Amino acid sequence: MGLPASAIAMLIFGSVVLYGGLAYFLYRAMKNKKRL
Amino acid sequence: MTNIPEKRTLWSSRFVFIMAAVGSAVGLGNVWRFPYMCYEYGGGAFFIPFFIAVFTLGIPLLILEFTLGHWSRGGAPKTFAKIGKKWEWVGWWPLIVEFITLIYYSVILAWCFSYMIYSLDLRWGSNAEGFFINSFLGDTGTPEILGNIQVPVVLGLIAIWTLIYIINRRGVKNIEKAILITVPIPMILLVIVAIRGLTLPGAVEGISYYLTPDFSKLWTAKIWLAAYSQVLWSFSLAGGIMITYASFLPKKSDINNNAIITGLADAGVSFFAGFAVFSVIGYLAYSSGTAVTEVVRYGPELAFIAYPTALGLMPFAAAFFGIIFFIVLLNFGISSAISVFEPLPVGISEKWNISKEKITGILCLLGFLIGLIYTTGGGLHWLSITDHFLASFGLGLIALFECVIVGYAFNLSRLRKHANEVSDVKIGVWWDILIKYVNPVILSALFILVIYEIITTGYGGYSIFAILIGGVFVVLGAFLLSFIFMKLKGVEK
Repeated sequence: MGLPASAIAMLIFGSVVLYGGLAYFLYRAMKNKKRL
Repeated sequence: MTNIPEKRTLWSSRFVFIMAAVGSAVGLGNVWRFPYMCYEYGGGAFFIPFFIAVFTLGIPLLILEFTLGHWSRGGAPKTFAKIGKKWEWVGWWPLIVEFITLIYYSVILAWCFSYMIYSLDLRWGSNAEGFFINSFLGDTGTPEILGNIQVPVVLGLIAIWTLIYIINRRGVKNIEKAILITVPIPMILLVIVAIRGLTLPGAVEGISYYLTPDFSKLWTAKIWLAAYSQVLWSFSLAGGIMITYASFLPKKSDINNNAIITGLADAGVSFFAGFAVFSVIGYLAYSSGTAVTEVVRYGPELAFIAYPTALGLMPFAAAFFGIIFFIVLLNFGISSAISVFEPLPVGISEKWNISKEKITGILCLLGFLIGLIYTTGGGLHWLSITDHFLASFGLGLIALFECVIVGYAFNLSRLRKHANEVSDVKIGVWWDILIKYVNPVILSALFILVIYEIITTGYGGYSIFAILIGGVFVVLGAFLLSFIFMKLKGVEK
């Protein structure tokens, strides 16, 4: 049995919000190196 | 280490500060509570209120606490005393609550320590529940009968408090070294645990319970309150921890983006842990020929009964994955424990100018001695009662006071300006509105729900005596002690 489509949709939603958001703000932090 | 004029040791880099804050936030609850909350409250649908809670309560309060610590350059009592002398008790209250929490949290870490060793030969055999309750805890079934002190738990407890002493006695200098081990290692190991879980038969069925959304549940108030409650607990908020940690930041450190990264990292670990947990729950259901709903557990029952049972059914390398699983729990727990412990000795040494090392030693010994009660046969019940009452009347109420005092007795826009001056990501008036109006309403609703549940359903069928001693007196004692600490005269440096 595979995962239902709605479960896959929530997997993508959760990953985008959390890991996408984290990657973006980490990128901003790394870009702004001067601030300790 | 960088030194500012008052010789206060500071975090050596932004990276270690974020690691310390994430290490504090990520704890056992990320692994054994969040995935179950999803299962209980609509599967993937729970992500919606949870994310909203992260962005409206979690991250704004993290920004508030980081800003308070950075602005006051002191622990929580000093911070609130700076806002107004009469508010100093609001700074002591969370420190005392957190210290009491650590006393029983360290006992749970001692269980993890023992189970890490027991994993070598899967000592629980085919009856993980019987082994945990009867053999390991020596459960007497009631808090009124203490029974014997369980030697393996005491040995684990000695190891945990010794570790806390070694790490915390020299403050951030040692914490920095510790978190470079206790934060990244369990995250890497959690990936290994998840990969193993996902390759087991039945894993997809388990994950399906975790992710498949039931959006109809979004219309109930309980799911929203559960999400806000989860965020409040998971982010190490209102415990004085983040204020203390941020007080060791250099003057030009970023605040807002650090808070966002900390919040997202904590939530990210919770989200990922769901796959490690529910894949194994699915396997357990598959192997025992029952439904997932029959075997799903949370909290200590997940870690010490369901997971060991699943390990016993694994075809190969069960001991290896058992050790890894308990190392993950132990490390997540220790990085939280050292952060939970730190604010109290910092607060005491700041007010009475006592050597940090000396007060750390005294508090560790005190924590160990009081913790012995939780190592007895009745300890599980005392732990359960204290935890329930501190969780219900502790941090939520403190967070409410924090928002109201800072929002109404202080100039909130001054704090926002302070945060924006040093931060890359700027916050607007919306942050003031969240702190001043929205979050006090949410936190009040959480508190009313807790009171309602205790009045209508009681707690665990325990006697009034046990609830008074283990719950009510502990909560009131912490509250009164915070006023005593405020009234006691400090020593000028």
